[in-house]
Amino acid sequence: MNLKVFNRALWVYHLNTGSCNGCDIEILAVLTPRYDVERFGIRLVGSPRHADVLLVTGPVARSMEDSVRRIYAQVPDPKVVIVVGNCGAEGDVFHEAYSLIGPIDQIIPVDVYVPGCPPRPEAIIHGVVMAWVKLEKMVKQEVA
Amino acid sequence: MSVVNYGYAVWAPLVWIVALVVIGIMVLIWRSRGQKSYKKGTAQTDVFLSGTKVPPEEQRHVKSENIYWGFFESLKELYSGMMKPHTGIVNDYLMWFVAILAITVVILVVAG
Repeated sequence: MNLKVFNRALWVYHLNTGSCNGCDIEILAVLTPRYDVERFGIRLVGSPRHADVLLVTGPVARSMEDSVRRIYAQVPDPKVVIVVGNCGAEGDVFHEAYSLIGPIDQIIPVDVYVPGCPPRPEAIIHGVVMAWVKLEKMVKQEVA
Repeated sequence: MSVVNYGYAVWAPLVWIVALVVIGIMVLIWRSRGQKSYKKGTAQTDVFLSGTKVPPEEQRHVKSENIYWGFFESLKELYSGMMKPHTGIVNDYLMWFVAILAITVVILVVAG
């Protein structure tokens, strides 16, 4: 991977839309010393306004719909959305639940899917790298 | 400009002005290096309140009376009782004035 345009640290905002926390625990594992993605500049931030990437977990509870739309709108351009876990990707075992409005791509555009229940930290890192590459292409198009 | 020496401290206006100018320049340089791709007037420049809807600006600030919330809450019964006689009608206030004056006169006469 040769980043030339988007060659700065990647800041990620994590949004839980009703996850069981399985995926969220794996996301935290990515930040622990075993994987330690912060050494590559990948870090979680506390506000979507500071983020380059919106990382979403959970099957999107009905009450979260407005928040998901609002938070997506608050991420500055260029931005990419990563969905971590089966729930966000296609609902998994909850796909027929009355209280859900997801999957996430029914509400906001999704760029990278990381399937799994929960996905392994390596898979999440791979997804983030894919997002980074996509951002690089988006920025390159903007520059051109 | 005069430099005031207190023995343990020095007040020099020129030094303060120079320091403020230097800090101002540093802030402007720092600010100019910030994110420029925000789209003004969109949600990207809205306040982030954990994804909840942001109320209008006039409803966002904390009023000074909020500081006394606990005070008002604990004395709620007293205030609700005190608010009843405060009708805002001058006749009522005059009635209270005359009544209290009469009671005072009675006490003074009996005690005197």
